[in-house]
Amino acid sequence: MRVRLEGVVKRFGATTALAGVSQEIREGELFTLLGPSGCGKTTTLRILAGFVDPDEGEVYFDDVPVRGVPPAERGVGIVFQNYALWPHMTVFDNVAYGLRLRRMPTAEVRRRVEQVLEQVGLLGLEDRTPGQLSGGQQQRVAVARALVLNPRLLLLDEPLSSLDAKVRARLRSEIRRLQQELRITTVYVTHDQEEAMVISDRIAVMRDGRVAQVGTPVELYERPADLFVADFVGTNNLLPGTVTGLRDGWAELATPAGVVRGRAARPLQSGGRAVLAVRPEALRISDGTPADVGVPGRVALSQYLGSLVRYEVEVEGGRVLLVDVHNPKGQIVLRPGQRTTVSFDPEAALVFPEEAP
Amino acid sequence: MSVEVAREAAWPRVRPRRRVPGWLWATPVYAFLLLFVVYPLIRLLAEAVTDEAGRLSLTYLAQFAGDPFYRKALVNSLWVAGGTVLGCLALGLPAAFLLVRYDFPGRELWSYLTVLPIVMPPLVGIMGLVFVLGRAGTVNVLLMDYLGLARPVNFLYGWHGVLLAMVLHYFPLVTLNVVDALTKVDASLEEAAEAMGSRGLRRVRDITLPLLTPGLVSGATLVFILSFADFATPLVVGMQDLLAAQAYLNIVQFVDRRLFRMGLVVGALMSLLAIGFLLVARRAVAMREYAVVSYRAVERRPLRGAWRLIAPALFATALGLAFLPHLGLLLAAFGKAWSLTPLPTRFTLEHFDQVLHLTPTYVVNSLRWGAVAVALILVLGVSIGWMLARTSLPGRELVDSVVTLVLALPGTAVGIAYLRAFHAPLAGITLTRSWFVMPLVLAVRRMPYTVRATFASLLTVHPAMEEAAASVGASSLRTFLDVSLPLIWRGVVAGALFSLLFALQEAAATILLVLPGWETITVGIFTFYTSGTFGQAAALGVVLVTLSAAILYAIYRLTGARLGGLFGSGGG
Repeated sequence: MRVRLEGVVKRFGATTALAGVSQEIREGELFTLLGPSGCGKTTTLRILAGFVDPDEGEVYFDDVPVRGVPPAERGVGIVFQNYALWPHMTVFDNVAYGLRLRRMPTAEVRRRVEQVLEQVGLLGLEDRTPGQLSGGQQQRVAVARALVLNPRLLLLDEPLSSLDAKVRARLRSEIRRLQQELRITTVYVTHDQEEAMVISDRIAVMRDGRVAQVGTPVELYERPADLFVADFVGTNNLLPGTVTGLRDGWAELATPAGVVRGRAARPLQSGGRAVLAVRPEALRISDGTPADVGVPGRVALSQYLGSLVRYEVEVEGGRVLLVDVHNPKGQIVLRPGQRTTVSFDPEAALVFPEEAP
Repeated sequence: MSVEVAREAAWPRVRPRRRVPGWLWATPVYAFLLLFVVYPLIRLLAEAVTDEAGRLSLTYLAQFAGDPFYRKALVNSLWVAGGTVLGCLALGLPAAFLLVRYDFPGRELWSYLTVLPIVMPPLVGIMGLVFVLGRAGTVNVLLMDYLGLARPVNFLYGWHGVLLAMVLHYFPLVTLNVVDALTKVDASLEEAAEAMGSRGLRRVRDITLPLLTPGLVSGATLVFILSFADFATPLVVGMQDLLAAQAYLNIVQFVDRRLFRMGLVVGALMSLLAIGFLLVARRAVAMREYAVVSYRAVERRPLRGAWRLIAPALFATALGLAFLPHLGLLLAAFGKAWSLTPLPTRFTLEHFDQVLHLTPTYVVNSLRWGAVAVALILVLGVSIGWMLARTSLPGRELVDSVVTLVLALPGTAVGIAYLRAFHAPLAGITLTRSWFVMPLVLAVRRMPYTVRATFASLLTVHPAMEEAAASVGASSLRTFLDVSLPLIWRGVVAGALFSLLFALQEAAATILLVLPGWETITVGIFTFYTSGTFGQAAALGVVLVTLSAAILYAIYRLTGARLGGLFGSGGG
């Protein structure tokens, strides 16, 4: 099923949760709403679910407006943040509840519950109550309960946020596998950018009730549309300064750390304030003696992580740059206090106009 | 397992349903509260500032203020209530700390027993005490016979006796509130203080006590208001110069119209004072509402050395004292023609034959009014609790205030207010002449316990659980029946049982409203005792205590003994 939001606005009292969101979600894709808390992602999900109606704008499921259609008639399956499993019912009863409401014959209920429990790998635990399950198992029950009615749209609200890291990594792969197997249109809400990158076909980064940028994980990482996205998706080193030169899409920036060059990601004004963003893995570091090109600095911290060494280099003006050196293979590691020069290919750096605070 | 199988069945449709608009079921609730709480209260307050002809007049207020006797009664009432609170804190606070934080021989048993004094209302308690410690009670008879005392020792007659009976009955309210608050204090809060060097009593003062304030204030306010409003207990030991006693005595005499008016004024003043106390308490609590999301309990420590004996000894003394009235009550109820001997010389069942068999009116009436009241309470209380926890209907805050107000209003004042508000025909019915007024006033007075229990139980049911049911097609009613109700029924029933327990023990509003033929157990105890028929008063007391104990046992079985939050008067 395709979903389309058109100019959706939602206010709660004096605060505007959604300030005009228009977005298309394609048939069968896993679409993630990513953003910090209060950005409007959960409100968007609740509007899709039918728990709240937008104040302005409209939501279409396959071109049919759904305003006023209650949740149960929208054909959506919802996985809640805290699972919301009914503690007084067994796993089987939790999953079967929606089927029984529809007066489905007992044998059919059993067949469909077992089938969906098999899909999520919980067959054999039907008679347990939620309290007897681990967090990860509870999450699978919640997914099974959302899937058993064969929804046209699956909505997941931070489904992994209360699980520990290892279980989280395993479950997100399983959710992705299940979603691709069933080819079910899915909207996934999270504030965890790594989770969003791993699981999504496309991601909408939200901020202050608006969509800041929509794109595939690669697009967001490689070509962030603004400083907020650049900072929120992945890690970026930010160097603010003044634009001293503009030519053929390149920008030269005077910063306290020195003069740097990068590609102008957005229209810039000569003499205006701007910020250069460059990722840790795009930075190179010289061993010891200062080089001709680059920014001089002093190693403040080095962390050996096996597959990479991460340096924190303090540059002129007090900024700290993160530099990742991959595959060090025991190569000599710079010690804290050593002088060094940080350099990068201008091709890998983006320059954004500075945003008003 | 193939994907095709999973997708074969189309999305099964459910019939669209129309939602019942909120105001449709909220209106009767609003109407009930307006008619049976707000209207009588306003009527009572208005009576205090008008004269016989209904003109605005401050004559009676001025008479109250100008009369040294009433001024003394006001001061006495404040002393009794304040003293009861202090006594309850002195007994209840250490008890709570010991029960929650320390381990000592018999701790489990004590924690069960501590709540037991609640089964004996102060009216019955003081009567039981009189049999043991009174002028001709066991102790005084022994003292006179064997030690040759010429005159009996006055253990009870006066405010010290009233204090004793009230503290023994009410201290569990403080203990329960503090136990509840104390078990919710996150261990890390105290550990953080300890890590900074705050230890022992200093840590208790700086960290623990402030965290307990809401529970402490709730318990103390409730005790204050209850002891302030009680008139039956002081009258049993002949204390008349208290506000509540004056209100009662002035109202029940129908000779002097001026005195009757003064009764109204006193009732109105008591209501205003109670509301004032409540506002002060709420302010103190509101500033200290701490949200507890998840907590790790502080680990219980074993008591060491002499304390291992002192702690159980403290409990044994307090509870021993609390059981003294039970002893006196039993002796008087089973004793035959008991007088001038330390213990009855012969025993008999005739008092029980009287109150259970020959004239079972009292017990039957109590159960009848109780049953009707609980039915009313369940309908109203659950509706209001739901409304407060789950809706944003207009007037919700007001309803919350009215419910808390009901908890604070003295029974005496409510009784007087009903007498004045409903003695004229209303839609063809003179309420004060219909038996329905008895269960009605009980329902109004005891409803807050059920509201609170419903509200508290609903808070433990995450709204997402209800949304999840709605999302798979359950109607609001179905969601309530299938998801909410199974999760809250224990709490709701426990709340309703508390309402029933305190409805059976009600000895203020009902004594004022009772007409011949409607007498309850407490009315019977009061009239039997004040007319000198001690044996039957005691037998009825035993019946009431037994009923109360049975109800309390049922509550324990239902809730697994987590009772604290039900007694709070602030917050929520």
